[in-house]
Amino acid sequence: MAEPSYSRRAHEDVTRSGPPPRIEAEVMDGRWFKTNDKLQWIERLEIDSDTDAGETYVQIHGGAAPSPADWGRVRCDLLFANAADTANARAGGFIAHYDFDDMRVEVQANYNLGLLVVATFVNFKTPGALSDRFTREFFFRG
Amino acid sequence: MTAIVETPASSLDLGILAGDWRNTNADGGISRIVCRPIDGGRLSVQCFGTDDWGSVEAPVYAFAFESKQAGAFNAVFDLGYEEVHLQANVKAGVLVVASFNHIKDQSGRSSYFDREFFHRIATA
Repeated sequence: MAEPSYSRRAHEDVTRSGPPPRIEAEVMDGRWFKTNDKLQWIERLEIDSDTDAGETYVQIHGGAAPSPADWGRVRCDLLFANAADTANARAGGFIAHYDFDDMRVEVQANYNLGLLVVATFVNFKTPGALSDRFTREFFFRG
Repeated sequence: MTAIVETPASSLDLGILAGDWRNTNADGGISRIVCRPIDGGRLSVQCFGTDDWGSVEAPVYAFAFESKQAGAFNAVFDLGYEEVHLQANVKAGVLVVASFNHIKDQSGRSSYFDREFFHRIATA
């Protein structure tokens, strides 16, 4: 049974009954390639979903140094719909995390109009010559 | 209630981010964001929706590894029923804010993504 909604943003005052719909993360599944011909932080990525388990995974392949060539495959920690009042909960994005020897990276991606926008927050574990960095890059599905 | 996060000191210049930012859309979910430099090169971020969400410390980021200018931050607000991850960066004088909104209560609402734009009315 749903409880009365409480919000601190006007558009979140949505009345629903029952549990939230499953977010259809599988609409993001596939191989994604960079839209920019130039070398960039992320070269390409792959997304796959296990709909039975309700899990989605991402594997990133790096481009420009110090981006690792293969970041590995990790489970997305959080999935998001593409609208606050959606009933079908079509996927709108995810958050995933990578922990490398020298840096931690939070990946925040959103999916819209056939484009995957991938932002990363790069945090170095030890301060050095390089600054912590924000990236935002665009990908199309191949 | 808001998240209490101890962020590391930063040597980045916060001038581009600091200030009082207002939503370009009068009907936006977040009406105002105030970014204040605090001790140690850290950034305090205060948000307003239908009320004051309070302030959190937010780690800041440059647009290039070699840059010493902060152009982005990553703030997390724990509002109890919801955890809001704010991805913010300044582009052409506009604070572009993507929010990843994780609903934690049993209201039946879905977690969702949103994006809003803010213009600066005053520097901090």
